[in-house]
Amino acid sequence: MLKPKAIAQVLAQVNTAGVKATLLLNPDGSLISFAGWSEREARVLAAVASNVWFAYERHGRPAGSEVINEDGKESLQDLILECEAGKLCVSRASKMLLCLVADEETEWGLLKAKVIGNNGYAFVRHPT
Amino acid sequence: MKKKVLLMGKSGSGKTSMRSIIFANYIARDTRRLGATIDVEHSNVRFLGNLVLNLWDCGGQEVFMENYIAAQRDHIFRNVEVLIYVFDVESREYERDMHYFQSCIDAILQNSKDARIFCLIHKMDLVQEEQRDLVFQERETDIKRRSAPLGITAFGTSIWDETLYKAWSSIVYSLIPNVRHLEAHLDSFCSICEADEVVLFERTTFLVISHSTHKEHADIHRFEKVSNIIKQFKLSCSKSQAQFQCMEVRADDFAVFIDVLTPNTYVMVVMSDPTIQSAATLINIAAARSHFHRIEQGQIAR
Ligand SMILES: Nc1nc2c(ncn2[C@@H]2O[C@H](COP(=O)(O)OP(=O)(O)OP(=O)(O)O)[C@@H](O)[C@H]2O)c(=O)[nH]1
Ligand SMILES: [Mg+2]
Repeated sequence: MLKPKAIAQVLAQVNTAGVKATLLLNPDGSLISFAGWSEREARVLAAVASNVWFAYERHGRPAGSEVINEDGKESLQDLILECEAGKLCVSRASKMLLCLVADEETEWGLLKAKVIGNNGYAFVRHPT
Repeated sequence: MKKKVLLMGKSGSGKTSMRSIIFANYIARDTRRLGATIDVEHSNVRFLGNLVLNLWDCGGQEVFMENYIAAQRDHIFRNVEVLIYVFDVESREYERDMHYFQSCIDAILQNSKDARIFCLIHKMDLVQEEQRDLVFQERETDIKRRSAPLGITAFGTSIWDETLYKAWSSIVYSLIPNVRHLEAHLDSFCSICEADEVVLFERTTFLVISHSTHKEHADIHRFEKVSNIIKQFKLSCSKSQAQFQCMEVRADDFAVFIDVLTPNTYVMVVMSDPTIQSAATLINIAAARSHFHRIEQGQIAR
């Protein structure tokens, strides 16, 4: 089960050191919770992030990432993109996606560390 | 678990009408076509996993009534769990109705003294709105006096508004085993979702089985109204060959989700916190399904 307010608080804690917004979304792009930005911007970003994610997952598979998911299939685990005005990091979190938006100066490693740290939280485990 | 439920009252008081609306997908207007019930019509209604209501719709014409009270007395009044006695509020033969009612009460006292008794003062729509409370109170007092030493619960009802759902929800609620247990789980579900209110409906009748309220609401009739509205909506869906599955209603200051919870129930979740996204609530409903399914099947110990 998800505790909506607790999740929003956890996500808000990620928004430091250059990270401007943190989102939790369903694979279909619907927003579950977010921190930073307005709801409107968050919704748009959620849609874009899920789209990009699936474009890579569908077309990038032959190139092969080594990660094996719960079903024993190979699948994409993280996606880090450098954009003109910032960095975007999307990561699989159980059956959901976690998405971080940071400014250009943020270091790759930091972004990655934040994503991994967040994935450790109980809330992104399978909802029970 | 089979429970015998007697539906009695004078001919034309509206017994078959209410049964058809609650259990057989009739809308109020269809009941005008119903003919008088001859003798007793039996039906079994499966209600939640293992509860079966064994309804005895007893035709109310005098020949039949005499027969129930005399020749068939044991057969009719034995092993009764619930007696539902329907009074036509506009009946011209008040004393005669009461005579039969008291005969039935006597028979229950002899044969099934632990039965619960519900009296419905029916067709309240025919009474002027401002007089309804008064008329109801008068009748209730008189019926209570006449049914002593047995206790009764009375409701004013009409097939033309939600009062019918109110009465039948209470009746059914009194029959559900473990209902407290179910309520406790519904309550924790409500807190986890951070919902204002969670209501559980039976799937085919849309009667309210249980609810948990964390934020009070001014309208005390809201459940019956929702039962009534959604049931009618559901019926209109099936007319166009579609099956009602779920709906989300969102306004500025609240959101409501109505969705299938278990094979026998629908859940309604009312949220007023605008920062909580729909997807989060939907995930929670989905996650709660298997849990409530197990409760329904009685697999979770008390
Ligand atoms: N105005 C009004 N009419 C009602 C209401 N409930 C039922 N009726 C009407 O009452 C008539 C008789 O209803 P029935 O349900 O057949 O009555 P019954 O109690 O089953 O009668 P018997 O089978 O002969 O015992 C129908 O025409 C219904 O439309 C109500 O709440 N208000
Ligand atoms: Mg009838």
